[in-house]
Amino acid sequence: MKNSIPTTKMSRGGVVGKAMLKIGVSHSKGVVKRAFMSKEKKEESQKETHAEIAKVIIESLGTLKGISVKIAQQVALGLPFLPQEYLDEISKSFNSIPPINKALIRKIIKQELGNYPQGVFESFESEAFGAASLGQVHLATIKGEKLAVKVQYPGIAKSIDSDLGVLKFALTRFAKGGNIDHLMDEVEARLNEEVDYEIEAENTEYFYNNLKHDLIVIPKIMRELSTKTVLTSSFLEGDGFEEFLAKNPTQEERNHYAQLIFDSFFMGLYHMQMIHADPNPGNFIFMDEGKLGLIDFGCVKKLDNEFLASFSKLHVSLMDKVDDSEVTQQYADLKMIDKDSPEKMLEFYQEVIKPLDRIYIEIFEGDSYDFKENNDFSERGFNTIMEVQKKSITAVHNMNEDYIFVDRTLLGYYSMFEKMEATIDTRFAQKLVRY
Amino acid sequence: MKVSQSAKEKTKVKILESAVELMTIKGYKNASLREIAKEAGVSNPTIYNYFPNKEKILYAYIEQKLIETGQVLKEIEDFHTYTLREQLQTLIETQLEFYLEDREFVTQIMSMALTPSMGAMELIYESKEKFTEMVSEMLDIAIEAEEIAEPPFKEYMPQLFWDYNVAVVAYWIKDDSEMFENTTQFIDNSMGVIEALLHSNILQKTSDLGMFMFKTHMLSSLQKFSTKQSGFNKIKRKLGEVFNEK
Repeated sequence: MKNSIPTTKMSRGGVVGKAMLKIGVSHSKGVVKRAFMSKEKKEESQKETHAEIAKVIIESLGTLKGISVKIAQQVALGLPFLPQEYLDEISKSFNSIPPINKALIRKIIKQELGNYPQGVFESFESEAFGAASLGQVHLATIKGEKLAVKVQYPGIAKSIDSDLGVLKFALTRFAKGGNIDHLMDEVEARLNEEVDYEIEAENTEYFYNNLKHDLIVIPKIMRELSTKTVLTSSFLEGDGFEEFLAKNPTQEERNHYAQLIFDSFFMGLYHMQMIHADPNPGNFIFMDEGKLGLIDFGCVKKLDNEFLASFSKLHVSLMDKVDDSEVTQQYADLKMIDKDSPEKMLEFYQEVIKPLDRIYIEIFEGDSYDFKENNDFSERGFNTIMEVQKKSITAVHNMNEDYIFVDRTLLGYYSMFEKMEATIDTRFAQKLVRY
Repeated sequence: MKVSQSAKEKTKVKILESAVELMTIKGYKNASLREIAKEAGVSNPTIYNYFPNKEKILYAYIEQKLIETGQVLKEIEDFHTYTLREQLQTLIETQLEFYLEDREFVTQIMSMALTPSMGAMELIYESKEKFTEMVSEMLDIAIEAEEIAEPPFKEYMPQLFWDYNVAVVAYWIKDDSEMFENTTQFIDNSMGVIEALLHSNILQKTSDLGMFMFKTHMLSSLQKFSTKQSGFNKIKRKLGEVFNEK
C-alpha cells in the first residue's frame, strides 16, 4: 500500500525531467549562438537566453503548481544574485495557488475538524477573504468572536521534493557560483516547515507568549480547531499594507508603524532568538490605536547564541569601520567567505561583499535613517549586486544560511520602509547589536 | 396491523447495515439473506419482503447513500450560492464520504461491477435514477439562473455525469494515497474539465487534468511495466560477470 509515495515521486520526476531537458536545450542553443557574436551582442543574447530559460522554468513550475509558487517566492527573496530575468518571470508566478472552491472547503474542514464548516463554526464564509501561503483564509465566528481559518490545498506537501528538483537543476546551472545545494536544503527545510501548520501554530504561540510589546498584536491560535493543514486563530482587524498607504497616512503614522516593524524584528532576534523570516508586506496588519498585527508565522528562523555573537560582532565592526582585513576575517568566521590565503580572501571581500555591506550598514550609521530621503536604497543595492555579478571573482561556495535569512528579511523590510517613506530610529537596534 | 412508513424505513436501514457488515466480513457471495436477517433481528419472511434477492440489497444500498447525500446537501444553508460546478462537486464528495464508512463493502460492489461476467454493472446502473434526478435539478437551476447556456443534449448530461461518478468511485477504490489526496485532486481537476465543458473553454482544463493523470499515474505504471521486463536485468548481470572477470 505504501509504495504509492515513491512511484508518485517518480512520475512527477518524469515531468521534472522533461522540463530539465527543455532547459538544457535552451541553454546550449544560447551557447552555440554566442560563440559567433560580438561582445555586446553576446550580452544581449545571454539576456535572451536567460529570459527564455526563466520562461521554461516558470512554465514547468506552472504545470507542477502547488508548492512551486512558494519556492519561487523563497528563491526570489533568498537568492538576490540571480539574473533579473529569472526574478521577473518568477514574480509573475506569485499568487497562483489553485483556488479551493466551496465543495472542496467543506470536504477539507470535515476531514480535518470532524464536521462540516456550519457544524464547527457559528458562521463560516465559504468565500475566502485572502490568499495565504499554500492555501486561503476564510472568516468564521464562534461565540461572536471573529476567527481566521487558513486552509491548505490538499496534496501540496507531497509536491515539494520534485518541484525543488526542477529548480535546483536550473539554478545550479545558471546561478553564478555554482554550488547552491546547501541553500536549497535550507529552502526545502523552510518549506517543509511551512506546509505543516502545526509547526506554524507552535511558532505563533511562541511569539504570542514571548514578544512583549503593548502595540504589537499576535493572533491567538485555537488549538482544538487546528491540524496539519487547517489553522484557526483569532482574526486581527485592520488594514493591509496597500490599504494603509492608500489612506495617505501622516508622516508620524508612517514612522510609527515602520518603527514597530523594525523594532519587533530586533526584539525577536535578540530577546527571542527567532525571527519572522518572511518579509512579505501582507504579513503586517495596520490596526487601530497605533497597533501593529503580525501574522503568518509559517516561515520563521531560529538562531543560536553563536550566530548572534558573530552577527553582532560583524555589525559592530562595520559600524565602527574597522579595517578590511579584520572584517574579512569575521566574514570568514561566519562562513561567508571561503577559506583561502589572506590576500585572496581580502580581495574577495573588497570586490564582492564590501560594495554591498557599505550600503547595508548605512542604516546603522546614525541615530536614524530617512527612507524618504534615501529612496534609492534598494535600487542602489540591486545595481551593486548586478555590478558584482559581472565580476569573474564571484565564486562563492560557502554561505551562511542564517546570515542570508536574517539579511534577506531586513532588506525586505527596508524596501517596505522605502515605500512607506518612513524614518526609523535605529538606536534601539544598535543598542541590541552592541549588547 | 399496518406498519408505518417510518418503521418500514427503519427496518430497511437496519437490514442494509447488517448486510454491509456481514458482506464486509464474509464477502458478498458467502453472506446469505438468512444470516443477514438474523443479524438484523428480523424474520426470514420479512427480509424477503424487503429484498427478494441479494442484488436488490446492493441496489438499495447505493440508493440509500444517495438519499443521505441529498439530506446533507439540503442542510447546506448557502447551497444556492454555490456554482453549478461546486454543487456537483459537493454531490460527488459527499457521496464518497458515506462510501468511506463502508469502503470495503463498496470495493466489493465495484469489483463485481468491473468484472464483465458478473453483470453487476447493469445493477449499479439500475440505482442511478436518484442520482440523475439530483443532477438534473442542479442543471435546470443553473440554466434558469443563466449561469450556463442550455447545453446541447441536455437530457444526456445527468447520465454522463453518472458515468463520471462511477469512474470517480472506481478511481477512489484504487487510490492508496494518504487521505485519498489523489482522489481529491482527481475530482477537483476533472470537475474543472466538466465546468469548462459547460462553459465551453475545455482545452486548458483538459491539459490540467491530463497533466495530473500523467504525473500521478501513467508514468508510474510505465515504470512498473518496464521493471517487469527481466531481460534488461539479465543483460546487466551478464555484463557484471564480464567486468568481474577482468
